Amino acid sequence: MASSAGKKRPMVRVSRTDSSSNLTDKDSKKPKMDSGDRQGESASLYSEEEEAAQRDPAKDVNLYKTACDGIRQLLQEIQEIKGSGRKDAAAEIAERKIQASMHFITLKKLNRLAHMRCKKARDTTHEHKQKVDSYHLQLQNLLYEVLHLQKEITKCLEFKSKDEEIELVEEAEFFKEAPEEISKPDVTQQDPHQLTLARLDWELEQRKRLAAKCKDYEDQKEEISQEIQTRRDQLDSLLPRLNTVLESTKPLQEALKMPFDEMRQQHRMAQFLPRPLYVLYVQSSAYQQACDPALTVTIEGDLDAAKSSGPSTSAALDVDSDSDDEEGTKEKSRRRRTISIDPTDRRGKVLHKHPLQVNITIKCKDGSSLALTFHYLLTLQVVTVIVQLRPVAEAVTSAISGGDLLSPSSLLSCLFPGDHGNTTPNPANQFLLERARIEDFNDCVKEVGKPYVWAQQLAGLQFLNAEEPPKPDTHLSSTHMEKTMKALKVRVRARLALVQQLASLERGSVPVTRECQHLFQTKIASRLASWKSITYDDYIALPYSQLVVASGMVHDTDNFYLAVLQRGSATLTAAVLLSPGYLTCPPVFSLNLNMGTDHTASNDENIRAMEHEVNVHYKELLVKGSHDQLLTNQLQRLLMCLDVYLETQSNSSATEGPSEFGREKICPRVVRGPSRCKPFVFNSQHGFFTQR
Amino acid sequence: MADNFEAEMLKQRRQLYTTVFSQSFSPCGRFVAVCDNFGRITLFSLAASLSADAKEDSRKPVFTFQAHNGPVYTLSSTERFLISAGTGDIKAWSWADILKKSPKVQWSLSPPFNHSFDNPETNSVVITKDGMLCSGCGDNNVYLWDMQSGTCTNTLKGHTDYIHALTLRGNDQQVVSAGEDGAVRIWDLRDSREAVHILEPYKHDVCARPEQGRWIGCVAVDSGDDWLVCGGGPSLSLWHMRSMTPVVAFSTPNSSQNVVMFQEDQIMSAGSSPCVNHWSMNGELRSQVPCTPPCIYSMAINTNSASYKVLSAAGSSAKVDIFTNFGYKAFSMLVC
Repeated sequence: MASSAGKKRPMVRVSRTDSSSNLTDKDSKKPKMDSGDRQGESASLYSEEEEAAQRDPAKDVNLYKTACDGIRQLLQEIQEIKGSGRKDAAAEIAERKIQASMHFITLKKLNRLAHMRCKKARDTTHEHKQKVDSYHLQLQNLLYEVLHLQKEITKCLEFKSKDEEIELVEEAEFFKEAPEEISKPDVTQQDPHQLTLARLDWELEQRKRLAAKCKDYEDQKEEISQEIQTRRDQLDSLLPRLNTVLESTKPLQEALKMPFDEMRQQHRMAQFLPRPLYVLYVQSSAYQQACDPALTVTIEGDLDAAKSSGPSTSAALDVDSDSDDEEGTKEKSRRRRTISIDPTDRRGKVLHKHPLQVNITIKCKDGSSLALTFHYLLTLQVVTVIVQLRPVAEAVTSAISGGDLLSPSSLLSCLFPGDHGNTTPNPANQFLLERARIEDFNDCVKEVGKPYVWAQQLAGLQFLNAEEPPKPDTHLSSTHMEKTMKALKVRVRARLALVQQLASLERGSVPVTRECQHLFQTKIASRLASWKSITYDDYIALPYSQLVVASGMVHDTDNFYLAVLQRGSATLTAAVLLSPGYLTCPPVFSLNLNMGTDHTASNDENIRAMEHEVNVHYKELLVKGSHDQLLTNQLQRLLMCLDVYLETQSNSSATEGPSEFGREKICPRVVRGPSRCKPFVFNSQHGFFTQR
Repeated sequence: MADNFEAEMLKQRRQLYTTVFSQSFSPCGRFVAVCDNFGRITLFSLAASLSADAKEDSRKPVFTFQAHNGPVYTLSSTERFLISAGTGDIKAWSWADILKKSPKVQWSLSPPFNHSFDNPETNSVVITKDGMLCSGCGDNNVYLWDMQSGTCTNTLKGHTDYIHALTLRGNDQQVVSAGEDGAVRIWDLRDSREAVHILEPYKHDVCARPEQGRWIGCVAVDSGDDWLVCGGGPSLSLWHMRSMTPVVAFSTPNSSQNVVMFQEDQIMSAGSSPCVNHWSMNGELRSQVPCTPPCIYSMAINTNSASYKVLSAAGSSAKVDIFTNFGYKAFSMLVC
């Protein structure tokens, strides 16, 4: 600043002297400035800045141009003067030099002014920029504030009051039920907030009331249970007294032969029966009382053991075998658990029976009786039967071919089709048996009896679904009871009759009862020559049984016999298939007639027709009252057919000479139809033979 | 349970002793009906059994119904009706009804039997082009019926034992009957008092087999009316019709023929052995095709539909054999 001021002083001095310059209007002030002190000098500096502001920059540009032009002019003039070489050249040149210097001063001034303006413009720009910055900052602050406020608003909006979770009564209901002082309809109708408050109040009121009520009831309950307790005590004290009364009636019961007590005993034992046996017991005693007084149903076994093994229901539904034994046998069971690897012990456990058993004795008309003992296997959850037949003395006949038809193991085999009783009907048992290393349930049949399907049905057990544990179903038992009892009776009668038939067949006679005699011609020339039993292997090896074998009717559990029928030179061999379900499944005959050559069903249509007669039309041989004579009737029928065959054969073959078999049968037609069938059907009414 | 079992068992046993006596193809050629000794008529679908993707199920009966009380021995078809005969009346069933599985007897003919004890049957039925039905019956007579009116127009008497088989001849003007008495009689349908010709094969050494009996079980006539073939107790023999003499005997030792037919240039026959015999006209056995039934009673060729032209053979078995190529058995259909 000081230097610039220093520079200005000579310029002022110059401008004061140079009147011709354009700065003359300022020249009047300059002397004042010059005469003033430092302050005056600084004021003149201020004024120069003001001047810079006031002056028009465009004019300054023009000034600058004229100054430059002036300098150029003067320099040119100097040059011309120097060139002319005039005398007064030096003075003129000096004058010119002064004028040029004046112009230079003007230029300097202009330069200063330009600088000053530039500085001022820069300052203004800076100032504005700062202002803008501060405004920007303010804006940012405001935006942040807005955001914050918005957040607060959402928070407020999202707020949930606890009362919203309470389910309140409907508004209409509230106004209807709540008392005036709570509902305050005049306030609440307009103001929903007040309305909610009122409703909450009402809710609270109601809850209070209900709580009080609940407490009331609890008190009542307590009271009643106390009353019950006192009455129960009273009843308990009654029991010993009643017992003494009962005790005292015993002599009277015995005297009058009324076994009320025994029945009571039985019924009490029945409580401890496992559920399936209980169903069996109830249903069979019901059946006994309703339909069959000759039936006897009793419960036997160790009652104490049954009691200790817990209530019957739990025993019946226990799946885990260990829980069979309870407090009394805990020690034992623990010991068992430790050595349970031993398969024999496991086997015993798997085959563990319930200590109680149900005995049913069925009496048949002829006096024989069938004793059935039902056990319940706790682990396997099946009912098994042990069978014992007590025939009357005269019914016992020895028949070699009868074999084991009456033995307990086969007597009831196939009572219903396919029910051999050799495998457990509960499919879930397979795993248990495998674990106990019992491969075939058949092996343990001797110990526990046979688990026939009908026995399960009587006990109300049904194992259709392998997953679900069986639930004893009383209805199932009652629907099967009558059918099974009848089937049992029919079976016993049929078996006894069958054994008798077999015995007489072995003696070579075919017994025909009086009821069946009308089925056959009285005079039959063919005779039964022999009757013997053969094995399964023998049977399937016979060439003429192949048709039957191929049809899948033959099982190795069936019985097989070979009957030889004879008349003169003709021999008819009949292989008989007797299924264990005899009567429901009648015997099947396969024939082979030997008259020099073998005639069988596959090469002689009439032999096929004979088989057809006995195997398919067996129903005609079932006469009411002699239902059991099927086997012998079939044989008798066969003898008759053989007669017809032989007698008609001699006639139709047109051979010369008298035939061996004289025609004794009356048949209107010897052959009929495309198959040239012989008249095997006997018309008992008119005593002649026709075709079917 | 037990009832079911009994029904099942009885069904199984019946199947074992089923004998199929006759067959007839439906007019459309897509079905075959067979009749058996239990009086049932069973319908099979040839179209389903012969289709490329036929399974076991498609060879099962489409439909079975009880047609008669006793055995049904013969079936024949007209354009509209299936005619069944055997025990009792001759019954006509509409094919349309049968295919709808609701068969009804459309009309029936009662042969005028007068024997009470011998229970006569109808063994064979043939139908002429002009609507006349001939039935060969168990009372030794052939009855002629007018199908329009349902009346018996005439009775051909002459056989001394029952009639086994009938066939038509001479542009349906003549009927040939074969009987248990061993005679083959040729009758003129217009003048029916006496048989025109009587052939008695059991009297000719060429074919007589006394040990098998006299009876003639089957007869067939070729399309030119020059030749007749018949067999039964006597062995199968070819007769020249103009000279009325047996020309060739076809050798079937121990087997009597129950069914015979002319097929193109050869003769096919079958009987009491489990095979179908193909013969050339000079008596040479061309081939023997084995089949299931031990004794065959019926053979038929489906000429009603070209795409299902098969030979089917049935007899004393529940299985009906189907031969698509006549040289071997294709499959069996089971009557049950």
